Amino acid sequence: MDIYLPIAEVAVNAPLIVALGALVGFISGMFGIGGGFLMTPMLVFLGIPAPVAVSSMANHVAASSMSSVIAYSRRRAVDLRMGAVLAAGGVVGSIAGVELFRWLRLLGQADLVVSISYLLFLGVIGALMLRESVGAILRRRRGDPAPPRRDRRPVWLYGLPLKMRFPRSRLYISVIPPLGLGAFVGILSAIMGVGGGFILVPAMVYILRMPAGMVVGTSLLQIIVTSSLTGVLQAGRNQTVDIVLALLLIVGGIVGAQFGARASSRFRAEELRAILALIVLAVGLRMGLGLFFAPEEPFVLLSGMGG
Amino acid sequence: MAIDAPPPAPPPAVAPAAISAALTTTNVQVKSDFRGARIVLYGAVFDTGTRPADVVVLVRGPDQPVRLTRKQKVAGVWLNSRPVVFRGAPGFYRAASNRPLEDIANFGVLRRLGAGLDHLTINAPEEQRVDTRYGVRDMVVSRLGADYYDWRRAVVRLKTNAGLYHEDGRGVRFVDRGLFRAEIALPTGAPTGVYRADILLFQDGKPVSRRSRTLTVEKVGVERALYVWAHSRPWSYGLAAMAFALAAGWAASAAFRRD
Repeated sequence: MDIYLPIAEVAVNAPLIVALGALVGFISGMFGIGGGFLMTPMLVFLGIPAPVAVSSMANHVAASSMSSVIAYSRRRAVDLRMGAVLAAGGVVGSIAGVELFRWLRLLGQADLVVSISYLLFLGVIGALMLRESVGAILRRRRGDPAPPRRDRRPVWLYGLPLKMRFPRSRLYISVIPPLGLGAFVGILSAIMGVGGGFILVPAMVYILRMPAGMVVGTSLLQIIVTSSLTGVLQAGRNQTVDIVLALLLIVGGIVGAQFGARASSRFRAEELRAILALIVLAVGLRMGLGLFFAPEEPFVLLSGMGG
Repeated sequence: MAIDAPPPAPPPAVAPAAISAALTTTNVQVKSDFRGARIVLYGAVFDTGTRPADVVVLVRGPDQPVRLTRKQKVAGVWLNSRPVVFRGAPGFYRAASNRPLEDIANFGVLRRLGAGLDHLTINAPEEQRVDTRYGVRDMVVSRLGADYYDWRRAVVRLKTNAGLYHEDGRGVRFVDRGLFRAEIALPTGAPTGVYRADILLFQDGKPVSRRSRTLTVEKVGVERALYVWAHSRPWSYGLAAMAFALAAGWAASAAFRRD
């Protein structure tokens, strides 16, 4: 059953898009990530113009994150205060990122920066997560005691001014690292067309040392704020949000996210991280390796005159 | 004795050959179930003589500037070159004729009419200038030079692959003496706007008669309302779309609540 998208100006298979939304929503709810890094390449592969895919995806990410953040907050697994600090940074970052992306598109180098970002960030983060989580799984299988938790948190995290108490996360740290992290993720999310959870989640675990139980719910909160802003900015500045496409994705996404959030409690944390690491690595390699192979068609049509 | 020879008879007055044509549909409506359209063109050749006649149908959609880039290998990595803009490229083009265009008329005639993919007028490209707004100085506008034909061929090839450009040397069929028929297939991605169909009658390699018909492709109903909303009031559209998304997420969460 095909349906015509009024903004994208292409026809898509509606059940396929709904199923795709559900699949990505499931992953989103399970791992506490937006899922944009999966959805954007898949929509482009289906023939939807990249700017429309990126922009409409922001609506989908906001909806499925909204749907699962409520499930997490009922389990008291959201640090609202930390989420607000991250989101404040994210707002600044995504506005800056949208401007940076417009400039890159004018230069015609947006593709390159997107590919490199995918390869670099997904590759590095995927590899680190995989190494860490496989190590944890092996240790548990062998029955080794967990290595002494290196609670020597980085000194700079504590030496910075503007300290703030985060009672839910049992942290007393400067607001500068979470603000900076939020801004960095905001910039990346505008450039890569993603929510940024795949960077946020590991950064919250390994840099901010937040309790694992709080990480997913809190990152979802930050993603809601960043992707809502991105979606509205994209519609306002570029008119690239396709509400019909967003609707199809949302129908699948919100249902998928519910099952994902529920399924996540059935797995061990390190197993979840290992699966996510494999997905992240695969997408990063798929997107980035194109840089090194001779293209079949050397000429590429760029969409939209505005860039 | 010489008899005055009668003056040579003037050639019999022949009405000039003429062509006439009509489209079965002049308004294509793009709705949610739009999957392209097939428009039939009927026409007739009025010719009292017996000279062979050829019919060429050229359909040009609204102009859509094309921006394209070329992958270049730099230090082992494939990078995009600076983008090149072709202004005045039609968003849709179809040339149909009863036999291949090269057999109907010579190069110069086809070029002048813009008939056929090789002769399609696509305005000369220029390298896109970069705005100074973003702190980058205007780049020198350079001519593409010898590469021009590679770029031009690439535009035609990419558009043809998308089903937007097409040339068919058998696209016009004579169904009866003087009566012909052609089909115009619009793909889903056909741009909206006014299309112009030129129906040309050729005799001895020269265009002798011409008719023009217009065709409108427009969005209607919900599709049109959304499109107009998104473009005329983008901020309210964006806010509404996002509010809807967040509400949908909240509603799903409430619906799935088990306790």
